[in-house]
Amino acid sequence: MSELSQQPPSYSLRLQKTGDEKSLSPKAFVALFLRTWPYLKPQWPHLSVWIVARFSIELIWLFAALVAFDLFNNKVLVGEKLQPSQVTLLFLDDSYGTDFFDQEESDSSDTAPILTSEQRREVRDRLMVLFCFAATFIFILGPAVEYYRTWILQRVNQFLRVTMVERAEHLSLRYHSHARTGDAIYRLYQDSAMITSVIERILLEPVVAIGQVFFSFFVLCLFSLTLGLMFIGGIIPMLWLIVWYTPRLQIRSRRARTSNSDLTSRIQEGFAAIRIIKANRAEPILRQRFNNDSTTALDAAFYLRVEYMLMRMLLLFLVGIMMIATLFLTAGWTIAEDPTFLAGTVALVGFAIWNFGAFQAVQSRTSEFLLNGMDLVRIWSVLQDMSVGLDRAFFLLDLEPDVVDDDDAVQLPRPIQTITYTDVTFGYDPDLPILKGINLTADVGTITAIVGTTGSGKSTLMSLLLRLYDPDSGSITVNGTDLTHLQIDSLRAGVAIALQQNTLFATSVADNIAYATTDVDRQGIEAAATVACADEFIRSMGNGYDTELGERGGKLSTGQRQRLSIARAVVRDTPILILDEPTASLDAETEHQVLANLADWGRERIVFLITHRLSTIRNADQIAFLENGEIVELGNHDTLMAKSDGRYRRFVTAEVDIAPALETPK
Amino acid sequence: MTDITPDANAPAEKPQFDDRIDTETRISNLEVARILGRCLGLLRSFPKLFLGKLGLSALAIIPGLYYQWIPKIVIDQVILQKPIAETETPFPPHMAPLVNTLAGLSPMEILAVVTAFLLVLLCVVGRGGTGAYFSQGEDSATQSENEMNRGGSGTGGILGLADAFVQIRLSQQLTNRLRTILFQRMARLPMTTLDDHRIGDAVYRVMYDAPMVPGMCYQVTLEPLFMIIGALISLYLMHYSYGDVAPQLVWVAAMMIPCALLVTVPFSSLARRVQQDSRAAGTATTNAIEESLGNISAVQSLGGMTREKDRIDKQSTESFRRYRHIKIVEILLRFATFLLLVGMAFWVTIFSTDLIIAGDMSPGDYGVLYGITLSLGGTAIGLGRFWIDLQGNAAAVRRVFFFIDLPSEDEGAALPSVGPLSHSVQIENVDFTYPDGRTALKHINLSLAPGELVAIVGPTGAGKTSLAYLIPAYISPTSGHVLFDGKDTGKVNLDSLRDQVSYVFQEHLLMSESIRANLLLVNPKASEADMQNALTTAGAIDFVNALPDGIDTILGRSGDTLSVGQKQRLCIARGLIRNTSVLILDEPTAALDPQTENALINALLEAAKGKLVIVIAHRLSTIRQANRIVFMEDGEITDIGSHEELMSDPEGRYHHFVELQGGSHQT
Repeated sequence: MSELSQQPPSYSLRLQKTGDEKSLSPKAFVALFLRTWPYLKPQWPHLSVWIVARFSIELIWLFAALVAFDLFNNKVLVGEKLQPSQVTLLFLDDSYGTDFFDQEESDSSDTAPILTSEQRREVRDRLMVLFCFAATFIFILGPAVEYYRTWILQRVNQFLRVTMVERAEHLSLRYHSHARTGDAIYRLYQDSAMITSVIERILLEPVVAIGQVFFSFFVLCLFSLTLGLMFIGGIIPMLWLIVWYTPRLQIRSRRARTSNSDLTSRIQEGFAAIRIIKANRAEPILRQRFNNDSTTALDAAFYLRVEYMLMRMLLLFLVGIMMIATLFLTAGWTIAEDPTFLAGTVALVGFAIWNFGAFQAVQSRTSEFLLNGMDLVRIWSVLQDMSVGLDRAFFLLDLEPDVVDDDDAVQLPRPIQTITYTDVTFGYDPDLPILKGINLTADVGTITAIVGTTGSGKSTLMSLLLRLYDPDSGSITVNGTDLTHLQIDSLRAGVAIALQQNTLFATSVADNIAYATTDVDRQGIEAAATVACADEFIRSMGNGYDTELGERGGKLSTGQRQRLSIARAVVRDTPILILDEPTASLDAETEHQVLANLADWGRERIVFLITHRLSTIRNADQIAFLENGEIVELGNHDTLMAKSDGRYRRFVTAEVDIAPALETPK
Repeated sequence: MTDITPDANAPAEKPQFDDRIDTETRISNLEVARILGRCLGLLRSFPKLFLGKLGLSALAIIPGLYYQWIPKIVIDQVILQKPIAETETPFPPHMAPLVNTLAGLSPMEILAVVTAFLLVLLCVVGRGGTGAYFSQGEDSATQSENEMNRGGSGTGGILGLADAFVQIRLSQQLTNRLRTILFQRMARLPMTTLDDHRIGDAVYRVMYDAPMVPGMCYQVTLEPLFMIIGALISLYLMHYSYGDVAPQLVWVAAMMIPCALLVTVPFSSLARRVQQDSRAAGTATTNAIEESLGNISAVQSLGGMTREKDRIDKQSTESFRRYRHIKIVEILLRFATFLLLVGMAFWVTIFSTDLIIAGDMSPGDYGVLYGITLSLGGTAIGLGRFWIDLQGNAAAVRRVFFFIDLPSEDEGAALPSVGPLSHSVQIENVDFTYPDGRTALKHINLSLAPGELVAIVGPTGAGKTSLAYLIPAYISPTSGHVLFDGKDTGKVNLDSLRDQVSYVFQEHLLMSESIRANLLLVNPKASEADMQNALTTAGAIDFVNALPDGIDTILGRSGDTLSVGQKQRLCIARGLIRNTSVLILDEPTAALDPQTENALINALLEAAKGKLVIVIAHRLSTIRQANRIVFMEDGEITDIGSHEELMSDPEGRYHHFVELQGGSHQT
């Protein structure tokens, strides 16, 4: 049957790769993160200040901890004497310190010199004061840095978002006709947001974590080579696990993102078509589809997390084993008072044999080593998800608009004289040409009517003039200059179009009319509305020109929307005007008035008119009759009517035959 | 970039942004409590998951009880080699079995036993917590993903994994339940409300507001519960072991919780407001993106790309700015509570070192004490923060409940149903005024019967569509009644009424799915032959068959790859396939050439036998075929009758109307 009967794809724990779910190659993975640089670069001054500030906070903590650890554990809690540097740091007198002689003695005897209770308190108090200084500094700097960080990262994200929006706005309609709006929303929000974490996940966190891993590892090796070797041995299975899980995480992440973007599209499309849904009582079906999509998206998110947590659990198990082994070994060595490997000779550590202090130090270094190692794993996993997000964000940027400016593109020539189509062929799908060998010339001051059966390519012919698409072959020129040599913005600024689908935006009436212009005042807007015969009904609305229109202009009737569309085209005061079925939904009286106004206004311009209405067609300077994408007849009403078996003549006769009433009343 | 120059559209001046329906966003603490209650109601739907989570989380407390004490044994009994009997402070009762085993053993033996014990713990409960938290952005919307998949465990290993799985599933179920209800309710809003409803707003509420509900549920149930249990256990242990030596410690630690709440509660109203504003700004951004990309062909044709980019840029900047306000509140809060915690840590350190120096406690005790007080302090801060976080969740969930509470068309589900139209549709003395004050219909009286083809004719803006909207009750009369086979449409089950009416709109909206799916959407039971018939009647069969995939061709967005006339015919086919007793066509042929139109009208006449067909049209060729013509002007019916009858009155408005249309055809 249809999509309705399709079950949501089942997400078993077993992962089956489908074609577009390939994981990223290592090279592509690196390239993705390199690509974020242009978006980070403008914020680089801020980023560096932030990074420096952040590291200084960390350094202060680290320094405070380093100083405090030995002082607090061994001196305050146990009562050992201080080392000379510690005495100086805390501004204490020499009676607190070990002199050279004492130190020599302490190495060879069990009875180390001991601080008095009074002295221990004094050391503690001074230590607390020192800590207070560090804390105050961090208290002030910390929140400021935190806010600064958000501010910078939002700017990075904003830059990427806007670049993506700009690209999306400019992508050709060929792309948009296959893309879904919800997908764009998802890419703009969720996928682009991944860039905010790049600095931290790629630069800061790994640097800190790697630094600490190596430092702790080095210190641990000083204490015991056995420990060092044990850790290296333990890392091998961990690495294997990570390598095995990496592509799985990427694929799960892509599924989660794709299904969530589908869900977003489902909501967007559902509400864009809500009238249709309501009119046809399709709410239960829509709800069912929503529920399927929602469940699929949630399942995908769940299995991404399952994958991640399983990997983490296995890794943590290995880590736990290593920690217990360390505990067992070092506690054993401490009981036996074995000598340490090299720790005694390194001033920083000062543990020649395994004692309480050495045990404590090794315990905390081991934790540091392993937990930072785990943190690296976490970062790596999160990076996989981020890479997929960034890949999806950059996908949009990688799409080249089909229609781009030439390097030496020029402005639209003015005053405008002629527009010429030469042998133009085009199809949305190149295999199915919509237009075939079109030749047409329109001069300034004339109205060209484009007539033909539904689906004969009339609107497409005009899309080419706007360069919404470029012809597959042949050319369109303005005053002899090929359209492809014109700047797109300049061209579109010179063409006003009243669309067949009169799209309105959910802003005020005035904003809708002035949509495509920037420099028009209220007078100009009202004048345009008057030409379009819209002034009267606009004024009759609650707030006149400031009345807010509903979503997609939903509060107006089609005829009213059509007139606003015309006003929107007129207000731009451009040399080229395209009216695509401008009056289809207007009653005859209004239509006459609008057309009369337009004829008056249209002198000095080139006007194209797509229409079925004979009353409109008859007054055109030339009529192009289209059939199956070809102009089969070209000329004015009288010439074409003169052809005894002409297509146009048949078209007109058909119209008149169908409506004999037209002739009967008079 | 933080400063936005104010102009007419500046969001900074309009705190409500695009919201035209949901305009009153401030809520009191009482309403927060009410929202909380409703969230708890949602939890009731998932008793197994919730109880499972509760049980697993309770189990997850246990390992912490042991892990805390192991270091003390290792330090005091193994490294410092004190006999167990000589410990300054007693072990808590749950440690007794282990401690008894250790009594009398040598340090090396104790070490071996402890190591074995740790290995067992590692296998069952792992080490550390379990959780899955992925990178997120710097605004409310991008953080929803982590919110709706919220879950984790205080412990690791198999137990932690199970605990986290259950919670993630629970979070997802809660989100799914709420957003499905929301989606359904929004789709059931009355047409007049939907006019004011932005699509981006719907996306935002379903995708980014609803996921805040799991957090809300946990913050009233699991999180405080376990925080308090944890705190009580810590307090008890502290009291048991240190109550005699240092009773002050216990009391100070216990005081932390009320203190933290005192610090944070004053922030609550502010926290709600900044959240609300951030979400409103996010909605405005979503609206801008949706509107701009959803109408891309109009935007590009009108050269509005730069304008649209600037608009989204501005909205997005504003939404980021609003998010920073949340950040400021958060930072202030953290600052205040952190101060509290540090003060506490200071005091504990000084107090306990005094005891250690005096020999009343061992150095190993310091670690335990410090750990317990820190975790108590953390609990206190957590509880304080939890109250503030709750405000953010409440702000988001309020936005969801707002739409769930709006009157919708589900209200009349219990009312009597109507069947296929057998006698008549009577419109009696109907006036209709839109909510914004525009009067659309005045004193309408009309009787319609099956077997009729009725044309509604009149100048643009005369109220033709409003009149047609009355029949399927898309709008309800401001005064007067619409009777469907004698039953007042205001007092029947709306679904049953709409089952009888097919309405083909002026806009030709198709879903970006296959043509087949578009047809099945409105009638899932349609057979292949039904579809072929509908397409044939609508005059669409030829071009559909010419498409590369025929009826299975996937249409582009809003059917962009088809011409307007083709889309119009597909829409008509969609209206026909439901085969209802009433068919309303709103300007069905505006974009069709006369030949196609003629064929279509004849086909419709054939297909519509025994049904009531209403056509809104301007074209004489269409109008003339009607059995009756209803001529409207300024919201009133001025003439009713057949073409011939109406034409016979040379002064009639209809006559005038026809003359105008025909005038230019005279050669």
